[in-house]
Amino acid sequence: MTNEFLPPGLALQKADERIMTLNVGPQHPGSGHMRIIVQIDGDYIVACDPDPGYVHRGEEKMAEYRNYITNIPHLERPVIHDSCNVLYPYVLGVEELLGIEVPERAKYVRVICSELNRCIYTMYWLAIYGIFLGHSTMFMWPAGDRELLIDLMEKISGARVTHAHFVPGGVRNDLPPNFEEVCLRQVNYFEKRIREYAAVFYDNPILISRTQDTGVLSREDAIRLGVTGSVLRASGVDYDLRKKEPYDVYEELDVHSNVMKEGDSYARSKIPWLDMLESCNIIKQALEKMPKSGSVRVKLKPNPKGKGFDSVYKRVESGRGSLGCHIVSDGKVEPYRLKLSVGSFRNLIALPYLLKGEKLGNMPSVYWSLNYWPVEADR
Amino acid sequence: MGTATGIIRALNSGIKHIATKRFTLRYPEEKLKFVGDGYQFDPSTGVGIAGLKGRHMLFHDHCTGCQLCSIACEGVAEAIAMVKVPENQKQNKKSIMPQIDYGKCVFCGLCVDACPFYALYMTNDYELSSFTKEGLIYTPAQLQVKPYVAQDSEIIITKWGATHG
Repeated sequence: MTNEFLPPGLALQKADERIMTLNVGPQHPGSGHMRIIVQIDGDYIVACDPDPGYVHRGEEKMAEYRNYITNIPHLERPVIHDSCNVLYPYVLGVEELLGIEVPERAKYVRVICSELNRCIYTMYWLAIYGIFLGHSTMFMWPAGDRELLIDLMEKISGARVTHAHFVPGGVRNDLPPNFEEVCLRQVNYFEKRIREYAAVFYDNPILISRTQDTGVLSREDAIRLGVTGSVLRASGVDYDLRKKEPYDVYEELDVHSNVMKEGDSYARSKIPWLDMLESCNIIKQALEKMPKSGSVRVKLKPNPKGKGFDSVYKRVESGRGSLGCHIVSDGKVEPYRLKLSVGSFRNLIALPYLLKGEKLGNMPSVYWSLNYWPVEADR
Repeated sequence: MGTATGIIRALNSGIKHIATKRFTLRYPEEKLKFVGDGYQFDPSTGVGIAGLKGRHMLFHDHCTGCQLCSIACEGVAEAIAMVKVPENQKQNKKSIMPQIDYGKCVFCGLCVDACPFYALYMTNDYELSSFTKEGLIYTPAQLQVKPYVAQDSEIIITKWGATHG
């Protein structure tokens, strides 16, 4: 078999004697169900080819065979730690297709769930980032402190992961009694805990020397490559969808987007941490402004249908950047076509540009600082 | 800030944690406390009642055998099968009731939302492991039993850190 029929990386490449091709993944615990084909000259990376697609599950095609409600449990599977944010654009889109007006209290509950989920995801991401750099404390602390927020989500939705809490027309159930008090107490303690990470991780000179000035993405390149979320904000572009295109009640809340100018691995790892502090702030604001009583769900017909041919595109700011959902309806109970546009995949595009000229030892920190979730990118 | 001070600060922040309380939940000895009595749904208002989405509970005197829970599960997990039951309930003419396979169930609770007769709820029971696949299939008679769930610890936040009590 000649080389052209083989998938990239498997083909025998006639290269320079100095250059070696190295497969990182798909079984490597660091790459996480994906392969990075790197060509190295000594310790320096000459070229890099990220190869996702090992966990493709066909979520988009599956959605064409299920109705608007039955789609909910499987659409949150791509990122189970951030399941509310993955469902958010879908739910907003279906509401616009079916013409549903959501009660005010449900919107606030959604914002609280979405911010809690963003923190839960970022803590998981941060734990893995810590262990990638060999910092065991930074693996143990976030993995333990997540429990505070998982406990809150369990109280709201009844599940620790994959909550299936958002539905077109609101949320599944109201907040449990006394929730505001418990939430405020645990979020305050969580905020205090993550502030302690600064001394042990972000101000730690060992981390700074490992991550500063590695994988620098300039402002122009960030815009040209179309990266989103924390990667874009770490390069100095102030673009947060919660602020630029506010959905639900975000325009009534005071959202501050964190921007750093450096664009290196350190800035990209610090922005999600600053976002978590901002999320705590948003949760507290939402708890304060939320209407104290009222309905949280509009009663829908059993099998809701779209009104003829129609299409809608909605996007939200997830833990990994802009997350869009394009739904095309043809007036049946199932969507005609559903497309998820995810932040992970867009951020992955920057990887070959960032790794060129870096040392191989810096690869894990640059790769994971892109806020990339393999399962979400493959969908 | 110098390198040495930075490293000392990092070590110091770790050393402080020797004095803080243990946050780990010692699971089989301690069990988490949940809100409410499991996820329930009120069909008259169309809003659920917060609670843990655990093993289901079936009320035989409410179930009419309408199969709506089974239809709701199609395309999600297909865990619900309608089976013949020997007992004769007057509202259940066909004498069929849901049987749930917990090897397939994803605990989304959409079957509870679908039930219009207050017959299917979820409970706090989450310890469902079994040595066989057949042991995970719960018949209507098994689903009728209200489980006993020990709930003793919840997160307590003190001056010395959070703990599970």
